[in-house]
Amino acid sequence: MSSDLAVSANGLVKRFGDRRAVDGVSIAVPKGLIYGVLGPNGAGKTTTLRMLLGIIEPDQGERMLLGHDAPRDASDRVGYLPEERGLYPNMKCREAIAFMGALRGLPWSIGRKRAGDLLEQAGLGHAADDKIRKLSKGMAQLVQLLGSVVHEPELLVLDEPFSGLDPVNQERLEKLIRGQRDRGATILFSTHVMAHAERLCDRLSIIAGGVVKFEGTVNEARALLPLKAHYTPHHHVETAGALLPADAERENGSWRFTVPSEGIEALLVRLIDAGYGISGLSIERPGLHDAFVKIVGPEALEQAA
Amino acid sequence: MKFGRMLRQALTVARRDFTATVMTPTFLLFLLSPLLMIGFALVGSMTASSAAGGGEARERIVVIAAPDKAAAIAATDRQLRKLVAGPRSWATLQIEGAGDDLEAQARALLASSQYDVTAVLYGPLERPTILRRPSNYSDGNYLAQLAEHTLRAGARGGAELSRAEIRIAGAGQATGGGRSQAAFFATLGVFFLTLMLSGQAVGAMAEERSNKVIEVLAAAVPLESVFFGKLIGAFGSALLFVCFWGTLLAQLPRFVPANIAAELGNLSAAVGPIFPLLFVVYFTMAYMLQSAVFLGVGSLAGTQREIQMLSLPITIFQFAMFGFASYAASHPGNWLALAAEIFPFSSPLAMAAHAANSPALWPHVLALAWQILWVAITVTVAARLFRRGVLKSGSPKRKRQGDRRTIDIAVS
Repeated sequence: MSSDLAVSANGLVKRFGDRRAVDGVSIAVPKGLIYGVLGPNGAGKTTTLRMLLGIIEPDQGERMLLGHDAPRDASDRVGYLPEERGLYPNMKCREAIAFMGALRGLPWSIGRKRAGDLLEQAGLGHAADDKIRKLSKGMAQLVQLLGSVVHEPELLVLDEPFSGLDPVNQERLEKLIRGQRDRGATILFSTHVMAHAERLCDRLSIIAGGVVKFEGTVNEARALLPLKAHYTPHHHVETAGALLPADAERENGSWRFTVPSEGIEALLVRLIDAGYGISGLSIERPGLHDAFVKIVGPEALEQAA
Repeated sequence: MKFGRMLRQALTVARRDFTATVMTPTFLLFLLSPLLMIGFALVGSMTASSAAGGGEARERIVVIAAPDKAAAIAATDRQLRKLVAGPRSWATLQIEGAGDDLEAQARALLASSQYDVTAVLYGPLERPTILRRPSNYSDGNYLAQLAEHTLRAGARGGAELSRAEIRIAGAGQATGGGRSQAAFFATLGVFFLTLMLSGQAVGAMAEERSNKVIEVLAAAVPLESVFFGKLIGAFGSALLFVCFWGTLLAQLPRFVPANIAAELGNLSAAVGPIFPLLFVVYFTMAYMLQSAVFLGVGSLAGTQREIQMLSLPITIFQFAMFGFASYAASHPGNWLALAAEIFPFSSPLAMAAHAANSPALWPHVLALAWQILWVAITVTVAARLFRRGVLKSGSPKRKRQGDRRTIDIAVS
């Protein structure tokens, strides 16, 4: 494995009974990036992350975590927030965070001190000595996240970190993830919410049906779809469609169509020459959502549902 | 290095479990629960003793004799009673003056409601008549011997023909009976402690499963360390319990009657002074082995109901191991005893008995290595079964329409 990679996997397969939950997933996560694993529910994201971390063993394939064939050997340098959130309800927040650090080799005394600092930074300083059971779900989730970073891991793995959080806490979480990346950590997270991935990911993989369908940057994913133009003629809105590409659709006083592969300049010249003029024109790049739907395909979405 | 890290992780889990167990009001209840048992036992024994003692206190044996014989009879009675030690003796002697019709007087005494008269002697001591109740054979015989010894004492003018000096010898020396008793009590002690304490392990993973902490633990720590840490944590609280009650029980000899203390002094172990240490070590191994099994089985249970249902088979298993080891305690050297010493789950109990029966120390070294190996095997197998049976996939594939809507919203 290249020393530039925090995580790599090659041909991971996991079967549960007759079902192949993960069917030959390969992944390469460069160090220092925020890397997203996207996919609909049941795509195999959680199983892939669990195999990468060594929680479950793959039936086939190889993986490396921070340079180790055996993920366990690197566990002290990894932080993990599972999809199923879990804390001991009778533990105090500070103790819970220190405990999670201690599991990863951080001395309790340092863990307690860092826990206090992290809670302050996250706006939860007032709850440091409250028991977990007294916290709201969102606060408890943040405490667990702090527990996964208290030992300052080189790799932070987050499984659906935004689920169950309100917009304010989602914002906090995004900030915290960026802060970890700025610290030099690699972040690998799974989600099926495109907005977060679009804002956070430096690179991403899209998984569906246990198979990697795409690997690249957000822009590369979006570039799989052509640009869209939103054109408003100055005159004769009704008849302008005759000069536009076949997929043009009327939207009130405007037209929306796919930008031709040779570019839009020639088309604009024809429209001006024909006397339609240009009252408004915008070129839109399709969002990650559209790219995701195209990559995953309706069959995979239907299967996930 | 790897072992050191696993140990550190296990101790982290153990520390959390120990603190979570001990720092609760429930633990105080757990710690003091034997008081309830002792309380019930005391109340029961006092009631039984009172009922039995009340009956015995009312019993009398009667001698109808002339007043000039009363002192000699009473003196002989005092001598004869020295032959019998312990709580059960003959009924209290009562001496009555003779009336006109001795037989009628004797029958009237037997029919008296003031006391429960069990036997009456009347007539000349040379040829007395003894009337007794059907069940009081020994009281009748006693009165016959009382007449005989009163006459003998009278024949020599009341002087003692022999005055013995009684000395105590061989105190603290091991006897076969003492070893056998020590073996049995060692087995019983280990069994009783593990019966009370190790069953808790069956629900030890329930908290992690219900709170979904298990995945956090499984990602950070090998499951073997989690299981081993839970065993150590539970053992820590068990040890606290044992130390608390051990300290109290160590003071017991000060308060028991001298004759019982003397009986306890007869208990002796063949291995000598190291025996208490071996007892503690074998209790530890018995606890670890049985708890590892219960922890493993309990971790696979899906619900609290399943965990509760496991308590009966667990208790039966413990009694079976005790029965097996008890046989070893009472038949040292027998092939079945050897089997009990080798079978991993009865081995600590049987070896505790072995320590009482045989002075050799090397079998204990072997046995401890063997038992430690089985603790490791049991924990490893339990962890693997747990990983295979419980830690499967993440989100189950959703089928319901509501979830389908969730996906649509999330993707849009």
